[in-house]
Amino acid sequence: MSWVTVIWSMTAAACLTLALMNFFIWFRQRDAWANLVFSLMAVSIATLAGYELALMRATTTAEFGFVLRWAHVPTWAIILSLVLFVRLYLNAGRWWLLWAICGVRTASLIINFSAGENLNYWHITELQHVSFFEEPVAVAQGVLNQWMLVGQISLVLLLFFVVDATVTVWRRGDRRRALVVGGSVLFFIICATGEATLVLWHFLHWPIIVSVPALGTVLAMSYELSRDAQRAAHLDRDLHESEQRMTLATEAVNLGVWFRDFARNEIWGSQQWRTLLGFSAAERLDFDVFLQRMHPDDRDGFRHTLELAAANGGRYEREYRVLLPDGQLRWIASHGRIEFNEAGKPARVRGVSLDITHRKLADLELHRQREELTHLSRVTMLGELSGSLAHELSQPLGAILRNAEAAELFLQHPSPDLDELRAIVADIRKDDERAGAVIQRMRSMLKRREVELTWFDLNLLVAESISLVRSAGELRKVRVSFISEQALPLVLGDRVQLQQVLLNLLLNAMDAVHDAAPERRQVSARVRLTEMHVEIAVADRGHGIPADKFSRVFEPFFTTKTNGLGLGLPISRSIVEAHGGRLRAENNVEGGAVFSFTVPVRADASDHSNR
Amino acid sequence: MTDYRLQTTDHRSLPAGGQIAPLSGEPPTVFVVDDDASFLESIGRLLRASRYQVKTFSSAENFLGQIPAGARGCVLADLHMPGMNGLELQQSLARLGNPLPVVFLTGQGDIRTSVQAMRQGAEDFLTKLAPKAELLNAVQQALAREERERKTRQQQAELRNRFEELTGREMEVLKHVVQGRLNKEIAADLGISERTVKLHRTAITTKLGVPSVAELTKLWIAAGFAEDK
Repeated sequence: MSWVTVIWSMTAAACLTLALMNFFIWFRQRDAWANLVFSLMAVSIATLAGYELALMRATTTAEFGFVLRWAHVPTWAIILSLVLFVRLYLNAGRWWLLWAICGVRTASLIINFSAGENLNYWHITELQHVSFFEEPVAVAQGVLNQWMLVGQISLVLLLFFVVDATVTVWRRGDRRRALVVGGSVLFFIICATGEATLVLWHFLHWPIIVSVPALGTVLAMSYELSRDAQRAAHLDRDLHESEQRMTLATEAVNLGVWFRDFARNEIWGSQQWRTLLGFSAAERLDFDVFLQRMHPDDRDGFRHTLELAAANGGRYEREYRVLLPDGQLRWIASHGRIEFNEAGKPARVRGVSLDITHRKLADLELHRQREELTHLSRVTMLGELSGSLAHELSQPLGAILRNAEAAELFLQHPSPDLDELRAIVADIRKDDERAGAVIQRMRSMLKRREVELTWFDLNLLVAESISLVRSAGELRKVRVSFISEQALPLVLGDRVQLQQVLLNLLLNAMDAVHDAAPERRQVSARVRLTEMHVEIAVADRGHGIPADKFSRVFEPFFTTKTNGLGLGLPISRSIVEAHGGRLRAENNVEGGAVFSFTVPVRADASDHSNR
Repeated sequence: MTDYRLQTTDHRSLPAGGQIAPLSGEPPTVFVVDDDASFLESIGRLLRASRYQVKTFSSAENFLGQIPAGARGCVLADLHMPGMNGLELQQSLARLGNPLPVVFLTGQGDIRTSVQAMRQGAEDFLTKLAPKAELLNAVQQALAREERERKTRQQQAELRNRFEELTGREMEVLKHVVQGRLNKEIAADLGISERTVKLHRTAITTKLGVPSVAELTKLWIAAGFAEDK
């Protein structure tokens, strides 16, 4: 068995194997260009190994020359793929050098086929047989081709290119890769070129050997490439791991993950998501099916949110209800992100959904309790006003009674004065309406009701509230006055609740002056229009708020009254804040306290001011 | 009981409801004071239809500013009014020396205020929704009392005129006499002689035309001096 045959065949085989492997990698992953270039190089080296074997076995000068000429084709391919590999894999090396190498090497290939017997020899005179690995192999003797210089220039350029690229990678910090790839390539170039030069100049009686050192380079490169594949495998495992963790986390918080594709009109949802919305695992889902599951009252709002998000960068958050097939109601919070295609149209939406039914029900319960408390406080306040209300009511009722009695007397007359009777009936009707209005006001305060927003005039509200407490003031010998603003824009709010706030402040103010000297038993309300708000201030001339109690007046259950619950002010504050205003307390310079609250004037309020 | 309603000659006069006492001079007037225009109008109407002379006022201040000095009648006043309230009106009237009886009207029967009003001598205390009969009865009572008191005041004034003739010293002696004291004691008290006391007593009985001490004392009390202390 010949060692030469074994070594060169194995070199070729190894190269072909590696070439095939990397070709497959490229084939599956089309952007892995480095693998394709590597595979080309390895094939070229395998081919060259074949030619080298043929050269060593050549029997005539003509055969030797012919084989050597064709051996330059794989050599050319090796050099080109080498520079390309360096460029692609190391992402380094100067482009102009790369093009220069390709150009010069191609030129030398043309020379190889046009001048002399091949690039190396102008004319081969004889073949000598030298012993190589204890085996006679053919070595040429003849006139060298002076054009060989072009090929050597390309090798020098190649040397420069690789050194430059290696230095760049080294400096970039990727030292191992610089050493393995750059170093092995340099080793190959120096070995191959050096050996060939020595052979050609007859300093060494060996055949020209390029493929075997090239194998070393191929192995080094292959080692690097395999590390990449290993890294990819690691990444894959990490990805899988992270996916597992993600799944665990989403399961733990019952988070549904979903994805909607506009082009295919399909929604993909994780198992949790399908469970959340009551879909079966296999059911095909699109947007319409999804909307069907949503509570009818929430659909328009949801569509609107999506439109808004599509116009404003794509992110959105939305809470909605779903009606499950078993009739159960579930609250879902959904966070989503719309992704756009090149044309800027929504292409996909990705998001997560969470079951927030518990929180939502708790919120609603809290809301209900707060409403209840607000109502309770209103009823309590009405109790305080009962004397005043009875007075309010007895005026028109008394007038009606007296008018009716007067009419009875008139009617006993043989020819009653009809004009007088008409006037009496008109007055009775008027007073009846008055009494009705008082009862209506009372009813609206007593009624358990939802928040109801209307546009109304605050001046009227204050005047009405003042008239309610005025008779209470007369009973308690407190003078109640009202300074109104000329023209107010209408404000949007819950009339009953704002009246509750005002009555609460007025009654508190009247309590505050309860023990005061007669000239200080005064309460005044003032309405003022500022730029953004209507401000209503209720001032008393009592003792004011002690400095140490200032921070506490809005605390629940804080009260200075013997029979107070201490809920009036906190409730008032939450009502005012729900209207977008502020309720605050301060002391009056002339003594006493001032409680004032604001109600914002909407930008569009002027449209309503003349209604 | 005397009826203080107008003796009407007008064809709208009511069917006879008891005889109507002829009264001399200006008929008594019911002064109604209430801040509620509607109630004021209606009660005015009822009282007029019940043939009372009525004058209405929208506030206590208004009423006090317009009432003539010797006005006859009674006052129907709302207890709760902005500004001066009913009780203050009553006090002002007393200060003016024209203690017209005041009937209070109120929206609601508040015990504390009604007690206070009655203690101050309110004629009556009614809610605005009191039955007509009760209301008219209260007015009638008030007018009767006013007439009674006015007559008493008139008699006292006439009687006091008779005492005008007495000198200051004689009034002093008389004060002691009606208390049933002896001449000797009077003389000692006033620092005069017993004889001078006797002379004064003779002058008093001559001027007043009352011979006995018993009758003198009766006259003294009737003139209201005893109440003056």
